[in-house]
Amino acid sequence: MEELLEVGNKAAEHAQKLGADEAEIFLYMKNHTSVKFVGGIFASRGGAVKGIKGLFMRIAEPWIKKKGLPIITSGIKAGVGIRAVIKNAIGFSSVSSIEKKRVLEAVEEAIKIAKIRPPDPNWVSLPDPKKTVGQGGIFDKKVSDLDVEEMLDLCVDCCIVAGDFDKRITQAMTMISAASVSFGIVNTQGIEVYDRGTFFATNVGTKAKSGDEEVSSGEFLTSRTFTKDLQSIGISASQRAVECLGRKSLPEKYVGPVVFENVSWNELFSIIFTSGISALNVQENRSTLKGKLGKQVAKENISVVDDGTLADGFGTALIDDEGVPKQKTPIVEKGVLYNFLYDNYAAKREKRESTGNASRQTFFGPAAYANQPTIKPSNLMLMPGKGNLEELVSELKDGVLVKGSLIGAHTSNVVTGDFSVTADNAFKIEHGQVAYPLKPCTAAGNFYEALNSIVTIGNDLKSFENILCPSVVTEKIVVST
Amino acid sequence: MDKAIQQALKVGADFAEAKGEDTIARNIQAVNNEIRTVSEIHNIGIGARIFYKKGNGFSFSNILDEENVFHAVETAMKIARASTKKSLIKFKLAPVKTVEEKKTTDVSKHPEDVSLVEKKDLCLRQCKTAMETSKRIANVTSIFGEYHGTIYYANSEGTKVSYEPLLIGLRITCVAKKGKTIMDARDGHGGSLGLTTFEEKAHTPEKIAENAAKWSLEKLKAKPAPAGKFNALIDPKLAGVLAHESFGHLSEADFVAIGGSPLTGKIGQKLGTDIVTIIDEGSPEKGGYNIYFDDEGVPCNRVEILKKGILNYYLHSRITAKALKMEPTGNARSQDYSFEPIVRMRNTYFDAGNWKPEEALSDLKQGIYAIDTSGGQVEATGTFLFKAIRGYWVENGELKYPLRDVALTGNILDLLKNVEAACNDLTLFSTPFGGCGKMGQRALVGLGGPHIRVKEVLFGGAR
Repeated sequence: MEELLEVGNKAAEHAQKLGADEAEIFLYMKNHTSVKFVGGIFASRGGAVKGIKGLFMRIAEPWIKKKGLPIITSGIKAGVGIRAVIKNAIGFSSVSSIEKKRVLEAVEEAIKIAKIRPPDPNWVSLPDPKKTVGQGGIFDKKVSDLDVEEMLDLCVDCCIVAGDFDKRITQAMTMISAASVSFGIVNTQGIEVYDRGTFFATNVGTKAKSGDEEVSSGEFLTSRTFTKDLQSIGISASQRAVECLGRKSLPEKYVGPVVFENVSWNELFSIIFTSGISALNVQENRSTLKGKLGKQVAKENISVVDDGTLADGFGTALIDDEGVPKQKTPIVEKGVLYNFLYDNYAAKREKRESTGNASRQTFFGPAAYANQPTIKPSNLMLMPGKGNLEELVSELKDGVLVKGSLIGAHTSNVVTGDFSVTADNAFKIEHGQVAYPLKPCTAAGNFYEALNSIVTIGNDLKSFENILCPSVVTEKIVVST
Repeated sequence: MDKAIQQALKVGADFAEAKGEDTIARNIQAVNNEIRTVSEIHNIGIGARIFYKKGNGFSFSNILDEENVFHAVETAMKIARASTKKSLIKFKLAPVKTVEEKKTTDVSKHPEDVSLVEKKDLCLRQCKTAMETSKRIANVTSIFGEYHGTIYYANSEGTKVSYEPLLIGLRITCVAKKGKTIMDARDGHGGSLGLTTFEEKAHTPEKIAENAAKWSLEKLKAKPAPAGKFNALIDPKLAGVLAHESFGHLSEADFVAIGGSPLTGKIGQKLGTDIVTIIDEGSPEKGGYNIYFDDEGVPCNRVEILKKGILNYYLHSRITAKALKMEPTGNARSQDYSFEPIVRMRNTYFDAGNWKPEEALSDLKQGIYAIDTSGGQVEATGTFLFKAIRGYWVENGELKYPLRDVALTGNILDLLKNVEAACNDLTLFSTPFGGCGKMGQRALVGLGGPHIRVKEVLFGGAR
C-alpha cells in the first residue's frame, strides 16, 4: 500500500504542477473470487437445463448430485480515480491501472475535463485531514487466501445438503464470494490515508417443486470473516422454498397489519430510507424528509443509527472513500429525525462536517475507482426490539406474513415512499399462527406511513451488507393475490 | 501475452488464450446549455482462459507485471482443474484456421486527435439549436460518446490478432411542454467513424438537434394511437431493434444448444416471407460498429441467419459450434478483459429490398407508421412488446397526423411471415451509449434495416 500512496503523492504533485487548485487521488485494489455451483437437477427430470454465463448442458440422468455446473471467476482489478479542481470546476478521470505513467496520464485528462466544465457554485474544497476513530484493517487472512478448489467443495457440499433436505427440492445453486480490498486516498489538503479489509458472502438459491407448483427461495450470509458452516444456510434455503408449497390465494384483498420478515423489510428500508436520509437528496428536493429535522418522522419505538465504527460491520472502515473518518451518526431517536448522511460536497454546501458517508462502490457497473463518490450509509441499523418472528406473528389474530426477498422494491418511489412489491414467499396468518402459504401477492403501501405505524420491532437483527435490520409489524398495508 | 500463454502451457493447459485490452470510453453530457458530466474510463488489462480436460477456467488482472499476469494464468488453471472434477459438461472448441493479423483503423478526425473542447462544443451546439427552436422546448439533453483503443488476442494454437475498435455517437433528447402535456423525441448519429461525419450536411449537430426538437413539438399535437391490428410501416431503427432484440437473440447458439430457443432444430425451415433476410456481421458496408475479430480470435463472418425467409445459420462461439457441429462465426464476445467470451451479436439487420420508401407508404393505404423505440420487453419465446418513440396515422397512403403511445406487440415468428415489403434504404445505427446486456455483460452492437412493411401488427395491446 505504501507504494500505492507513493504513486498517489506523485499524481497529486503532478496535478498541482499542471495548474489544479486541488486534486484527489483515489487508489483501489480488489482481489475477488466468486465460485458458483448449480447443483444439478435433484429430481428425475429429463430435458434441458439453462446454463448460466453462456455455458450449456443437457441433463437426462436423475439424481446427479456431486456434479453440476461450476461457474468460477477470479481476478485482480486495480485502478485510480482522480478529481482535479480548477476554479471550482471539477474534472474526473479514471484508469484501470496503478502504473505511474498511466496514472499521470489520467491526471492530465482530469485537468482537461475540469477546464471544459462550468464552475460548481456549491463547491468549497476537498476534505481536510482528521483523526480517525473507528476500526480499520478488518482483514481475515483465511478469506484472502481461500483456494478456488476449497470454495468449490464448500459450494458443492452446501448444494447437496440443500438437495437432501427434502425430495421436493429440484435445484440448488450456491455462490461464495471472497474479496480482499485495499484502498487509499491522497489529496492536496494533506489527506494521506489507507485501509484494507476482507469481505465474504454466501448465497444459496433453491427451487422446490410439487406437482405443477414451483417455488424459488434462498438464504444468504454476509460477513467480514470466513464462515465455514455454510450447511445451515443451505438447509434454511431449502426450508424456505419447501414451506411455500401448497400456495393458496387470499380469499379477498387484505388491508391491515403485516409482518415483514427482516429480509423483506430490509429491501424497502435500504432502498427508500437510504435515499431519504441522503443530504444531497434533501438539498435537491428529492426527499420527503426535507425540513423534518427535530420532528417526529416515525413512531416512538423507532431508532436508527448509522455506525461506520461498528465492530466487524460490513461497512466498517477507518475512512470513507474521500478519506474522511467513518463515524457513528444517530439518524432517528425515538421517532425523531436527528441527522442526514453527508459526504464532503453536501456537508460543505451547508458549512458543516461530512459524516464520513462518501462511497464509490456500486454493485453493478464499473469498479469503485471509476466512480465519483456518492452518499451511502456505512452500517445503517434499525435498532432491534423484542421477540422473534414467531412471536411477531403470534401478535396478529389475522394478517399476512411477508417473507424472503421481494420483486420490484427498486421501482418504489424513493421520494414519496410509495411502494408496490411482489412477494413470492408470503403466508396467511390466522389466530396468531401461520395458516398457509400465499400465491405470489402484491404488497403496497407507503414506507413513511408504515414507519409511523410500526406496531412491534423484532429482535432478529440481520446483516445485509450496509444495512442491519430486524423484522417488523406494521399497519396499513394492502395485500392482494 | 505470449509469455502468459507459454506459462499456461507450462502449468499443464491443453489450450490457452489471452485477451489484452487498452481502451478508452469517454462521455460528455450537456443539459440545456451546460456541460453536466464528463466521464472517462481507461480500461487496461489482460484476461486468460484455459482449457484442461473437460473443464475450463478464466481469470484476469490489470496489474500487468509478470508476477500478477502469471498469477492470473495459474488461477485460471486452478479453476479449470477444479471445474473438471465437478462439471457435468465437456467443453470443446471447434477447430479454426490460425490467423495472424493486425488491423488498424484509419479515419479522418479520430476522436483521440480531437480536443475535448471541440467535442463539448458538439453538445453545446446541439443544445443551442434545440432551445432556440421554440419556447416550448423545456429541456434538452445532449450526449457525445467515444470508445476506442486496441484489442489484442493470442492463443496457444498460434493465432495472434489485434484490431482497433472505434465507435462514436452524438445524441439529443428534447422535451417539449405545453400546458400539462409533456412529450419527448430524440435523434442521433454514430458508428465507426471519425468526427468529420458531423460535418456532413445530414449529420451536423444542428441538423440532429433540429430533428429532435421538431419531432418533440409535433408530438404535442399527437393523438393516442388506436388499438387493434393494422398494417404497419416500420422505420429502419425499429426494424433494427426487432432484428436484434426479438429475432437475433433467438439465433444465439448457446441459447439454441440448451433447447431454450424456438429456433432450435429449425435450420432449413421457412420462417418468413421471401422478402426477409436477416444478417449479423462484423463490419457492414453500410455503417454500424466494425469488429474484425471476436474474442476467441475468430474473424467475424457475415452470417445470413435468415435467408429469403429460410433459417440458415446460428450465431456461434467455438464452443457452441463444436456442440452443434457447425462452423464458428466469430460471435464470441466479452465486455472487456475481465469477462469470459459468450455468444453475442455484432451488427444485426434486415437486408434491403427493392421498394422505394414512398411507394411502400402509398401502397400501405391505411395503417400506422412506427418509428424508433424507447424500449420494450422481449421473451425467450420471441414474444415482444416495443414502444415506438413516434408514429403517424396513415390513410390513403399518406401521413395524416402524429401519434403517441405507439406500442406494438406480437411474436417475431408471426411477424416475419407478415413482412410484405423491404425498401432499398438500408441504414445501420450504432452508438456507444447503452449497448446490449446479456448475462451481466454489456456489448456494443450495431443494428438497422430498411423501412419494412408488415401486415396485421397488433398495436396498443399492452395498456
